[in-house]
Amino acid sequence: MKTLNHLAIAAIAAGAMFAAPVAKAQDLVFLSTQLRPIDEAQKVREVLLKGAPKTTYVVEEPPQFAVRMKAEQAAGKRTISLMGALHGELQPLVPAGSLDAVDDIAAKLGASGIPAGLMELGKLGTPNQQYIPWMQATYVLVVKKAALPFLPAGADVNALTYEQLAAWGKAIQEKTGQRRIGFPAGPKGLFARFVQGNLVPSYTGSMVTEFRSAAAEKGWADFKALWATVNPNANNYNFMQEPLMAGEVWIAWDHIARVKDALTAEPDQYLVVAPPAGAKGRAYMPVIAGLSIAKDAPNRAQAAAVIEHLLKPATQLAAAQEVGFFPVVDAPLPPDLPAGVKLLADGVAKTQGAKDAIVALLPIGLGDKGGEFNKVYFDTFQRIVLRNEPIRAVLDAQAEILRSLMIQTAAPCWAPDKPSQGACPVT
Amino acid sequence: MSAPRKWLYVTGVLALCAWVLVPIYLIGLGAMGGRLAVFKWPKAFAPGEASFAALATFLKIEGVWNAALNSLIAASLTMLFSILLGAPAGYALARFAFRGQSAFRLLVLLTRAFPLAILALPLTVIFIRVGLYDTPFGVSLIHTALALPFAALVTASLFMGIPREYEEAAWVFGCTRWQAFRKVVLPLALPGIAAAAIFAFVISWNEVFAASVLTVRERTLTAYLLTVLSESPLHYRFAGGFILIIPSVLFIFAVRKYLFAMWGVSSK
Repeated sequence: MKTLNHLAIAAIAAGAMFAAPVAKAQDLVFLSTQLRPIDEAQKVREVLLKGAPKTTYVVEEPPQFAVRMKAEQAAGKRTISLMGALHGELQPLVPAGSLDAVDDIAAKLGASGIPAGLMELGKLGTPNQQYIPWMQATYVLVVKKAALPFLPAGADVNALTYEQLAAWGKAIQEKTGQRRIGFPAGPKGLFARFVQGNLVPSYTGSMVTEFRSAAAEKGWADFKALWATVNPNANNYNFMQEPLMAGEVWIAWDHIARVKDALTAEPDQYLVVAPPAGAKGRAYMPVIAGLSIAKDAPNRAQAAAVIEHLLKPATQLAAAQEVGFFPVVDAPLPPDLPAGVKLLADGVAKTQGAKDAIVALLPIGLGDKGGEFNKVYFDTFQRIVLRNEPIRAVLDAQAEILRSLMIQTAAPCWAPDKPSQGACPVT
Repeated sequence: MSAPRKWLYVTGVLALCAWVLVPIYLIGLGAMGGRLAVFKWPKAFAPGEASFAALATFLKIEGVWNAALNSLIAASLTMLFSILLGAPAGYALARFAFRGQSAFRLLVLLTRAFPLAILALPLTVIFIRVGLYDTPFGVSLIHTALALPFAALVTASLFMGIPREYEEAAWVFGCTRWQAFRKVVLPLALPGIAAAAIFAFVISWNEVFAASVLTVRERTLTAYLLTVLSESPLHYRFAGGFILIIPSVLFIFAVRKYLFAMWGVSSK
């Protein structure tokens, strides 16, 4: 009897103790959907935030990030002051009213050389600055030098076309018996970005409007031929650095932060080149992460100070070296970069500087429908390439879904599509 | 035992041991081998240059100990609450006939039927308002809700297995219902209750979604590290897996007696 009573009392006491609000020093909470992997988060804590006001760096996957922002707003009590997330993840927070305008910080940073175009993206279609551009990245093609002897005659590795890539893959398959091209088409891979940002715009010069055009049909036919030489494990790849390091894949497309490990481990084994070109040009997708302050943030002044710290040229260069995201401010990369990072930097420069480059921006104005937008492209790929359905019929069916999505969100066109009045049309 | 039967027996034992030990060995190899050795094939039998770098980095990550402590607190509270609430429910199900008993038995499972992802937003809002947000205690409440059905049903079948006559005999000798329970039923049921408690502990230890939505600073270990483990370089994943295996192996070893009791195997 006694012991059980004691147990019950102890339980209640324990509960009360832990329920009491934990009175910790009011550090700034910095919640980020970027730089999540263990080693990168650790670099943020140890290197990038060194010298900044005391900050607790917490990472979160995008779906939980959205839930938390909504919940804190609904409850009227903020824990998070500073957010770091991709352009497309911050967008839905604007209509929800979760973001505090940061025009004052933007004005202070005016002289640091953030390109006006990037700053404009940070307004997210409103008159005020909603986020400060933080870091940028893009998607590139990584080539293992072992693949170079099989390069088809007449093809320049720095200016590949999709046909040449397919021929290259075929040559490798014939000579080595292996399919050595890889795409991150796994559940956590970024393959939808390849379709939106590289494949479709390279053939059509458009991401949305020309979705079901004859040019797009040709692009899909070419890609289907290319897929025959792609490693059959591609549906499991999330980060291409692993199959590259394992030697399973020799030619891989991915986000620069997701191939960085392979390049830093064995820099002399690889080349980084621009993604292939289609009939209209060589489309690429720049990725922008931004820093934003929550409305009614518990610690706005300190959050502003951390933003300024993260945008110092020295911090920005440290980010390039440590985590493979490149500066948004005017900070020339030093010549003594680690070899792997230098490869990446050159690859990005080649991609952005290609004569036939087409910029395909991340979707703008889709709000929380970004996931559905990605699904349209991924489903199109699955149906055409994996399930072998007729290209024309699939494009027509998926174009309908895309059109209703655009009408629903009333999102006007973004680059490379021509600006539109009202919802971006799908012809 | 005849020779062929003995041979079969030994091979069986060896195969079962290998079934468990080879993956653990490979994980250990991956954890110690470093960044590039992870991708080598065939594997060296022993790590060439055993390095604890990945393991050490893991343990040095800022906040990892705090997260481990939070995990421990949340899991212990979950264990406590689910037994304090679940065992009486199980006893009632086993001993009393009441209207709607079978419906209750089914409804108890209902907390597992709601996908947590849908409840996440309203739950978080309520937790913030009540002040339970970002505390291990708050997390343990959710985990208790998840563990409770198992605790109730497991203990119910446990109490059903203890003959009612024992209790009745105790009553005859002058025990009250409560005394009879404590002096006769409880000692018999204890190993099973311990097993149910362990189960609750494990449910809480492994749960990620609620733990990561309901906390910011005071994350549990799983929410703090394991959500990002799948996106980290391979050798970190091995190191993380290795670190997670060790405590659970030790834990199971420590409580094996109770587990055997639950399965009806006697141990020495």
